[in-house]
Amino acid sequence: MTLVAASAADVREAVLSTDGPLLPVAGATKPALSTAQDTAATPLDVSALRGITSYDPAELTFTARAGTPVREAAAALAEHGQYLPFDPPLADAGATLGGAVAAGVSGSGAFRHGGVRDFIIGVRLVDGTGSLIAGGGQVVKNAAGFDLPKLMVGSAGRLGVLTELSFKVFPHPRATTTLSFEPLGRDAALATVARLARGPVALDALDVEPTPDGSRRILARIGGDPAALDARAVRLASYVEAPHERLAPDEETALWRDTGELRWAAPGALVARIPVTAPAIPMLDAFLAAHRAAARWTLGANAVWVAWPAELPPRELGDALAGLGLTAVALTGTGGPLLGARRGGAFAARVRGALDPDGRFAGADLA
Amino acid sequence: MRHALPMAQIGPQAEPMARAIGACVHCGFCLPSCPTYVELGEEMDSPRGRIILMKEALEGTIELEAALPHVDRCLGCLACVSACPSGVQYGELLTPFRAYAEPRRKRGVLERVQRRLVLQTLPYPRRLRLAARAARLARPVARVLPTSLATMLRLLPRELPAAQPLPHIVPAEGERRARVALLAGCAQQVLDPDITAAAIRVLARNGVEVVIPADQGCCGALASHTGAAAQARAHARATMAAFPRDVDAVITTAAGCGSGMQEYGTLLLGEPDHDDAAQFAGGVVDVCAFLAELGLREAPATRAPVTVAYQDACHLAHAQGVHSAPRQLLDAIVGVTLIEVPEAELCCGSAGTYNVEQPEIAAALGRRKAVNLSATGAHVVASGNIGCMTQISTHLSELGHDLPVLHTIQLLDRAYARTM
Amino acid sequence: MNDVVAALGGIGLGDRLLTGPAALAAFSSDAQTAFQQRAIAVVVAETVGEVQAAVRVCHAAGVPFVARGSGTSLSGGSLPVEGGVLIALNRMNRVLRVDADTRTAVVEPGVINLDVTRAATPHGLYYAPDPSSQSICTIGGNIAFNSGGAHCLLHGMTSNHVLGVRVVLPDGELAELGGPSAETPGPDWTGLFCGSEGLFGIVVEATLRLMPVPEAVRTSLAVYDSLEAAGDAVAQIVRAGLLPVALEIMDALAIEAAEASVKPGYPPGATALLIVELEGERDVVDADAARLDALLTASGAREFLATEDLDERALIWKGRKAAFSAVGWLAPDYIVQDGVVPRTRLGEALVEIGRMSEESGIRVANVFHAGDGNLHPLILFDSAVPGELERAERLGGDILRLCIALGGSITGEHGVGIEKREYLPLMYAPDDLAAMRRLRDGVDPAGLANPGKMLAPEAA
Repeated sequence: MTLVAASAADVREAVLSTDGPLLPVAGATKPALSTAQDTAATPLDVSALRGITSYDPAELTFTARAGTPVREAAAALAEHGQYLPFDPPLADAGATLGGAVAAGVSGSGAFRHGGVRDFIIGVRLVDGTGSLIAGGGQVVKNAAGFDLPKLMVGSAGRLGVLTELSFKVFPHPRATTTLSFEPLGRDAALATVARLARGPVALDALDVEPTPDGSRRILARIGGDPAALDARAVRLASYVEAPHERLAPDEETALWRDTGELRWAAPGALVARIPVTAPAIPMLDAFLAAHRAAARWTLGANAVWVAWPAELPPRELGDALAGLGLTAVALTGTGGPLLGARRGGAFAARVRGALDPDGRFAGADLA
Repeated sequence: MRHALPMAQIGPQAEPMARAIGACVHCGFCLPSCPTYVELGEEMDSPRGRIILMKEALEGTIELEAALPHVDRCLGCLACVSACPSGVQYGELLTPFRAYAEPRRKRGVLERVQRRLVLQTLPYPRRLRLAARAARLARPVARVLPTSLATMLRLLPRELPAAQPLPHIVPAEGERRARVALLAGCAQQVLDPDITAAAIRVLARNGVEVVIPADQGCCGALASHTGAAAQARAHARATMAAFPRDVDAVITTAAGCGSGMQEYGTLLLGEPDHDDAAQFAGGVVDVCAFLAELGLREAPATRAPVTVAYQDACHLAHAQGVHSAPRQLLDAIVGVTLIEVPEAELCCGSAGTYNVEQPEIAAALGRRKAVNLSATGAHVVASGNIGCMTQISTHLSELGHDLPVLHTIQLLDRAYARTM
Repeated sequence: MNDVVAALGGIGLGDRLLTGPAALAAFSSDAQTAFQQRAIAVVVAETVGEVQAAVRVCHAAGVPFVARGSGTSLSGGSLPVEGGVLIALNRMNRVLRVDADTRTAVVEPGVINLDVTRAATPHGLYYAPDPSSQSICTIGGNIAFNSGGAHCLLHGMTSNHVLGVRVVLPDGELAELGGPSAETPGPDWTGLFCGSEGLFGIVVEATLRLMPVPEAVRTSLAVYDSLEAAGDAVAQIVRAGLLPVALEIMDALAIEAAEASVKPGYPPGATALLIVELEGERDVVDADAARLDALLTASGAREFLATEDLDERALIWKGRKAAFSAVGWLAPDYIVQDGVVPRTRLGEALVEIGRMSEESGIRVANVFHAGDGNLHPLILFDSAVPGELERAERLGGDILRLCIALGGSITGEHGVGIEKREYLPLMYAPDDLAAMRRLRDGVDPAGLANPGKMLAPEAA
């Protein structure tokens, strides 16, 4: 049975009246988050909690209901030359703002200005006691009270049901271009990424995609004033010891859209995102290669996308990650939403206990 | 900061003291500039902490004796004044507070003897010369003396330069551009009389007639900065009496003396001769500030290129606000490359009688300064105060890094004379 | 109480356990001197173990404790608690490592903000958050209060640059939150800990995000005859899609204070100054600068200058960063407010503050982060004049209410502390506050970590 909520009051009602745990769902683009792994949780469909409630382009902020599709918000922003700098994935597939926050996973474009946590400024949610609570606000700078908006980033619907979200946004770069470099070996690619990430050319995205022969192709995107773009592209190329190709505008758009829609992953694979830093990549990479799992580095080697083959048990990935002290956020497949090591210890347990004292949410698989 | 000082009980100095406390907003911008805070890392040994302690001691909410160890540890370098965005004149609280505390405090016998020794020796050239000679004899037993006395002996040079009688008037070379009176300095005259001699030569060469009053003595800065107010006032009056008034400026070559004399107005607040003192104080100028303002007639040149690290004397940079003048002068010497010193704003630990009173902290700061100076790779260290020069020299040699430490004016003099 | 001091004596602090009257007096307030309180003891900690041991002693005895770095809080955040212990962290000041490849630094909580950048500079990196007190404020305090700075406009607040923290929870247990990556899997526990004002415990180690030192930094200074004109220029810059790192405005009184204090040499006779800073890649800054200059010319600026010279830029910022303390030159006492309004309502807010100032007869100097609507009205008064303190405090309260009415916040970067805790209920509904209390009680059931800050004691 699926419950449906069209308002914050409905969400409260659902939380207060349901026996057993609830799990919010809207776009269902990240089934590993919206499906409980170990309990028979009742889905709570919040996709009707939809629509932008306030947006003044001059403010560079907007507020929308949590079930608002990312695509809808992006379109409204684009009309005024603005965008969501954290570039939430799966927008075309129907991802919602609430889902983007709950996953805590940003897209390739987040390399420039930061991820979800850096752009969320306000939140309304219903916690496990059925209280509708607000945190943060609608202004870009706010140090009053506990930072509930950030806590909700990555909460996977396990700490509360998001009902409304406020974000700060930025003007969209006036023009963009992307260089695709000839593949390099793993270590050369890593060193090049580190060099590029330290500047001086400011990149909008810095991804590394695997090639069939096990090499690595660096993809770097720059954006800004159209007048400066050509010179900057030349300069960017000079930092990489590999020939490059500058993608045509439509190719470029398609590349980044396909990347964000996770179209590079084999159908049926478990797609997971592993926050890392460069030194962890060689070990992780070796493990993934041995299991024929495609690994795509993103955010300048601050995260790795993995497509874990459908035929392999997710648990094997989780165990290996735990051994490496890493954690993955699974977006599809079973065994999620978190695989591998857990962080937060006693603090996490106490916070969860405070927001969901009676276990109204399917939280056991979180911390 | 709000306060409730018993103004009448404190006396005429209460006004400037209250002003300093009132202006402090406790923002903490002074902390990184304070040598004792940097070394000790405790709020009581920071400028804003001491302001609270002095305020509370005056208000009676803490015992004077509780505040004093921390106030004593203050070098009086006034780096905090340079760092303070609120314009707190910390020195106008510290010096009167020390004077206020002196008659009210308990000092142990050793401390008393030591303090008397210092105050009755350092400012008197003849006595200092005798003491230095005795000290040379005492050096073998220095190990068994109390640390502070041992430190004082250790800082005295092994060989004292011969005393140099000074002329009364040195005429300007060429057309006269100014006429000044020069403070020869007391301790400086014993430890390094060349500084005064160099100042006279450089001034004269630049068209300045120099009057050196014969019956001048100690200016009283040392006494004033250590809370011996009566002695300081006596020295101040004697100095004022000894100096002519028909000059363009009263020139000092020791930063501590210069700042002490510039504070005569505050020192004699509430006294009948206060106005005269304030006027006299207004005419006191450091030799570098005076020369930079006047402009050098011709730029001297060294025989070979030399790299100079300039170390601010606290009483020049922070107390007198003379920061760029010495740099300008050194920069003007052809062949000199001037480099800045890391942590330049931190005191070297000399600070008048500080290395006698707080030997451990003084030594820590001295070492820190020597390390920073040697890291610059300079050939020569320049500074503007005899106390700093002595301290820096001592710690550089302890580090095994013997660099010549010269007064800015000596560098100019040697460049003019082509002996460098 | 003596039991606690005795127990603290047993953790091997030696002379770093301070109980004398001078120490307790010197540590009795931070940069918010309207509040003073003596602790029963000050622990000057040098290791994580000592912090943990001190917290455990306090927890066992049911004695409250407050952590303190350099004591520069403007909201009374590190004010000692009556009968409580103060844990000073300023000596835990080591930068443990700087990793150029991952662009991170791991530091102890007592590291001074600017020292992170000093340690990162040789690697071509820097630490972006720059509170005005960055020469002395510590990372631990920055994290506890989610400090901002002039460059938040583009780079965000402290919490945007803190990737992970190691914390001592209020019962002494250690927890590790976040990690070295720019992204965190699972709930952002680190994000929640940042800005929690010491109510969740004490940060003993932090992993910070470093950024590449920008290749070009260009600071413009524009002079206007009215605050409104300067405000309009800000709106135009935002509308044009430019992304400066900083957009700051100072009014006549603030300019006067800065000139009296650090003498930056701002153009004389200015009614309002606008500081705009562009930074980044050479080509980008050049392209943006051309657009910015055209915009400032058209905005009615009486004059403007732009510079990339380090010393000249430093002078421009020196006046701005010293502005708070500099008003000490204009009045014996001041209150600094930290309200935020939506940036499009800035003009409205300033007019209203001007009206309130006139009505109350209390002068207000304005310095603000115009780009993000963060106001810093400096309310000038003389506590020696009967009634002025009360009027100034009332005016401060009215300004905060105004910010909330306009849809803003009572604090952008200084935190609630003890100073603004009465105003938090004006901003959040009872259920919101109840949830915050639940969080606090969940993490610190005994209520010992910095009690009384942010959340006012509940009426019995």
